[in-house]
Amino acid sequence: MTHLIQVVFSLETVYLLTGLVLFAFAWLTFADKCHPAPAGSALFWAILGVIFILGTHLPHAITGFLVLILVALDGANRVRPGVAEQDDSPTANSPGPPPGPRVGNPTNRIFFPVLTIPLVTICFTLTFRLRHLDVTQGALIGLGFGGLAAMFVALRLTRAPLRTLLDDGRRLNECMGTVNILPQLLASLGVIFAAAGVGQLIARGIVNVVPRDHLFLLVVANCLGMFLFTIVMGNSFAALPVIAAGVLVPLIVVPFHVDPAMAAMITLTAGSSGTLITPMAANFNIVPAALLELKNPYAVLKFQLPFALVLWPLHVLLMYVLIRLS
Amino acid sequence: MHLPEWARLAGLLVVAVGFALRIKPTLVVVSAALLTGLLASIPLLTSAAGLQHVPVLRNVIGEPGQEGLIDMLGRAFAENRLMTLFIITLPAIALSERFGLQRQSAKLIGRIRVATVGRLLFVYQLFRVLMGILSLRVNGHPTFVRPLVYPMALGAARIRDSAASTEELPESTVERIKAASAASENYGNFYGQNLSPVQPGILLVYSVLKGLGYTVSVWRLVAYAIPIAAISLLLGALQFHLLGKRRRGRE
Repeated sequence: MTHLIQVVFSLETVYLLTGLVLFAFAWLTFADKCHPAPAGSALFWAILGVIFILGTHLPHAITGFLVLILVALDGANRVRPGVAEQDDSPTANSPGPPPGPRVGNPTNRIFFPVLTIPLVTICFTLTFRLRHLDVTQGALIGLGFGGLAAMFVALRLTRAPLRTLLDDGRRLNECMGTVNILPQLLASLGVIFAAAGVGQLIARGIVNVVPRDHLFLLVVANCLGMFLFTIVMGNSFAALPVIAAGVLVPLIVVPFHVDPAMAAMITLTAGSSGTLITPMAANFNIVPAALLELKNPYAVLKFQLPFALVLWPLHVLLMYVLIRLS
Repeated sequence: MHLPEWARLAGLLVVAVGFALRIKPTLVVVSAALLTGLLASIPLLTSAAGLQHVPVLRNVIGEPGQEGLIDMLGRAFAENRLMTLFIITLPAIALSERFGLQRQSAKLIGRIRVATVGRLLFVYQLFRVLMGILSLRVNGHPTFVRPLVYPMALGAARIRDSAASTEELPESTVERIKAASAASENYGNFYGQNLSPVQPGILLVYSVLKGLGYTVSVWRLVAYAIPIAAISLLLGALQFHLLGKRRRGRE
C-alpha cells in the first residue's frame, strides 16, 4: 500500500501528467485551422511531451537528439503562437482574459482555482517533511498535483468544457513560447561548461591577478568571481563549489583564519546579485517576462539591475568588516 | 587538435553576443554548448555497443566511459524537467482569467484604501521571505505573480492615477509594474530561502564546506544569511517606494 502511494505521488507521475497536458496542447494546435504554423508548433510541444514522459528511461543520446530537433524547429521559426479566436480585441497588450464566453461579474470564488495550487504544494511539502522525505521533491510533486487539482476546481467552478480549459492553457503556453524550455537548455550548458572546466579557468585567472597578502582585494576578487561566474552559469549554486574551492578557501579562509561559515554564506548571496542580472537565469528573469507578456524580454533584468548593483558591494563590505572584527 | 585552454571561453562569447543581438535564445545556448564541448575535445557521443566500428562515427565517439556532448545535453535536459513543470498550472490559470480572475484581483485591492503599488509589492516580498523562513517552496511566478500580485498592483495604480479602468493606464506604467512584480518575487525568494536550514541554499553551502574539510552548523549559516536578507528587504522597500513616486510625479 505504502509502495503504491509512493509510486502514484512521485515525480514520475507528475512528469507523465505534464507530458499528457503537452500532448493535448500539441493536438489542439494541430487542429487549429487559423494557426500560422500548426505542424511545426504541434511537433515541438509533442516532442517536449515525449521527453517529459520518457525522459527517465530514454538513452540520453536519444533525448539529446530530440532536444536538437526542438532547437532546430525553433531556429527555423516553425514554432509560433496561435492567433486569437476573435479578432475584435485590439487591447492585446496586457495579459487580459482571452476571448470567448465569460461571466460578466466574477466573485471572489474565482480565486479558488489558483489558490489551490500553493495550498496543495504546501500540503505536499509538509507531508514530506513529517515523513522525513526529500522536501524539495515534495514541493515539485505538490506543484504538479496542485496544477491538476486546480484544473478540476476551475472546471467545477466555471462549468466550462474541458476543451476550453485545455485550449486556454494551450494559448497561454504558446504565448510564452519556446522560451519555456530555456531553463532546461541552460542547465545542459552548465553541465558542459563544468565538463570543459570553464569555472577552474575563471578561478585560476583571478588567482593570477590578485596579490595574495592583500585581504581587501582578495575579498573583492572572491565576491567578483562569484558574481561573474554566476552571470555566466545563470545559477549561484553551480558557481559556489568552484569559487569556494578555487578562491575562497585557499586564498581567504586558510591564510587569514576566517570563519568558513560566514565567508561561504556571504559568497553565496554575492552570487545571487549576479542571478538577478543575467539572462542565463532564464527561469527567474526571462520566463517570467514571457509569462507576464512583457514587450521587452529583458524588462525584469533591467528593473533588478540597480538593486543588484547596490547589494553586491555591500557583500564585499560586510565580509571585510566581519573578518576585521573577528 | 591542440588549442590553448582559454579558447574554451569562446562559448561565453557566443552567449554574450547572441543574447545582445537577440538571436533566438534556444539556438544561442545550444550553439554555445556544442562549441564549448568541441573546443574542450569532448566527443559528440558516448561509445555504445558496436557504434565505434562504424567508420563514419569513429571520430565523434568517445573512449569507453567518456560521456559525449549529445548525451550530456539529453541527460541534463531530462534531469531538469522539474524547471518546466509550471506548464501543468497554465490551463487552470488561463481558464480562471477568462472568467475574470485578474479583474477581480484588481477590484479587491481597490477596496483597500492604504494599498499602494509600492506597499503592495513590498508586502509580497515580505510574504515570500516568510515562506522562505517556513521553508515552503512555491514557484511564485505562475502561482502568485501573474494571477494575483500583478493585477493587484495594476489595480492600485489605477486608483492612484484615477483612471477609469486599468486599460487606460499608459503602456510604460503597465510594463514597469509587470517587471516590478516579477522582481518582488525574485527578491523575496532568493534572500528569504537562506533563512531556513532545510532549504537548498544552506544545504549546498554546508555540503561544499564539508567537501573542503569544514563541518559547520547549518544554524550558523542561517545566522550569517540574516544581514543580507535584512538589507534586501530595505532595498526592496526603497525601490518599490520609488516606483510609486516616479509614476505619480509623471502624471
